[in-house]
Amino acid sequence: MQAPYLPNSGVDTLLDPGAPAWGSVPREQLKLEGTPLGLQPSSAIRSRWMERKIGNIDRVEVAAAHDGRDLAFRLEWDDATENGQASDSDQFPDAAAVLLPTVPGASIVTMGGPGGAVNAWYWRADADGGRHVVAEGIGSSRTLDGEWVRGRGIWKAGRWQVVIARALRIDTPEPVAQLEPGQKTGLAIAVWDGANGERAGIKAYSGPTWRDLVLDAMPAGRRS
Amino acid sequence: MAPNKRQLAMVMDLNKCIGCQTCTIACKRLWTRDEGMEYMWWNSVNTQPGRGTPRDWEQMGGGFRDGHARPGRMPTRRDFGEAWEFNHEEVFFGGKGAKAHLKVQGEEPDWGPNWDEDQGAGEYPNAYYFYLPRICNHCTHPACLEACPRKAIVKRQEDGIVLVDEDRCRGYRFCMEACPYKKIYFNQAAKVAQKCIFCFPRIEQGVANACARQCPGRVRFLGYRDDHEAPIWKLVDQWKVALPLHPDYETEPNVFYVPPLAPPRYDEKGELDESQPRIPNEYLISLFGPVVLDALEVLKAEMAKTRGGGKSELMDLLIAYRWKEMFGGFDRDPATIEWTKA
Repeated sequence: MQAPYLPNSGVDTLLDPGAPAWGSVPREQLKLEGTPLGLQPSSAIRSRWMERKIGNIDRVEVAAAHDGRDLAFRLEWDDATENGQASDSDQFPDAAAVLLPTVPGASIVTMGGPGGAVNAWYWRADADGGRHVVAEGIGSSRTLDGEWVRGRGIWKAGRWQVVIARALRIDTPEPVAQLEPGQKTGLAIAVWDGANGERAGIKAYSGPTWRDLVLDAMPAGRRS
Repeated sequence: MAPNKRQLAMVMDLNKCIGCQTCTIACKRLWTRDEGMEYMWWNSVNTQPGRGTPRDWEQMGGGFRDGHARPGRMPTRRDFGEAWEFNHEEVFFGGKGAKAHLKVQGEEPDWGPNWDEDQGAGEYPNAYYFYLPRICNHCTHPACLEACPRKAIVKRQEDGIVLVDEDRCRGYRFCMEACPYKKIYFNQAAKVAQKCIFCFPRIEQGVANACARQCPGRVRFLGYRDDHEAPIWKLVDQWKVALPLHPDYETEPNVFYVPPLAPPRYDEKGELDESQPRIPNEYLISLFGPVVLDALEVLKAEMAKTRGGGKSELMDLLIAYRWKEMFGGFDRDPATIEWTKA
């Protein structure tokens, strides 16, 4: 998918899923599937989910744009129930994440591996903002310090509209995606349906292979 | 997971528990007073037979069967019982005298952590019940630890205490589904799972757990499983009168119970009828497995010895004449330590 260059839009504007700027950005439908039961990391989880549907959300509409400084993803999907702040322990929030490789060939289904980190930009309906996550294998994910990832979601009439954004490049020694205009990289999406008890590796995702993400180059003479 | 080097354990003598909840309050005041912990009772005491806390926890699954994880249900705060708010201000300071009474504020509750207290089972004059205090069992094969996708639960090498690492915990709550004893709580404010920590900061200073040390009935013994000089080993391994609760859950608890004896039954004529026990064997077997009958026989035989004027090392041990000897060396007075809050 193509992430067009939108000069002067600014991440604050793009964080609003209803911003007019998004109107000109092409949207792509991605089919989602449940994560494989066999890859759930404990037998307790596998036994609990053996006869339950993993991955209730089956498609998501994705758009991406950058302004030379920040990259923003806009996700939209059908979800009949809004699950935000939970009032009891059997309730889970809706959530979504964008996954990017930090090295070519990093593995999606294992959430990366040693020396092959994946970088998630994560948004959850019970918290403002987003989380910046690095994983090098199942169960290894770490939330990094610093408010790098920003996220905002609106649930309206049975549909979530969520924007998740981060600066293209950030100053950190951590193995995160460092991006630049003109670059081609991989992209994966995950969506959690709180009403279905989805959390952790129990989610819908865009499959085991990376989708192409191409960040439009900036016209000559402009610098980020 | 490498086996831990040593294992701390607790024995609770159900014949001495009077259900006073001093253990419960000792634990509450020490560990669960922060925001999000209002409804938590890491130590609870329920009347058996009864639905317990959380409500009907024995029907919630979890643990293992034939070595395989058995699916478990998520206990909710409604199942545990909400932390009720009372009109303390009005009753104690409202100047209304006897006209104001303590009342739960808000919605009328239909369940609580000790809702069926003293109901028990059976018909007069053969009604029966006993109290069952429960903490985290710090299992040898902890279902919670095994379930966690993030390895956020650890079993300490030095003493086998099972702890949730709240920095690694993401609040996914698979542990709560997996624990067959339903002794893990979710902190909605901190968004992490929390449970009994076996008072490890006290243990590390040589002080017994608050629930054990504060118990007025001298119900709780403490110590290392392999310490042959201390009561735990003697009660569990030598005398075999202390048994894990629900061994059928296959998590190998390190809390053990001396099963309850009860007074004899009356027959229709009002005579004592010792032909069958007041607490049905099947019920005790459902809790502790068939070996409970052997344990009860040992207890009865040793009691008979002392009734006959003889001596019983087991009875002396259970009576706990010397309080400090119950704690397997963890008998330091907490008042001798300067505690600081991190």
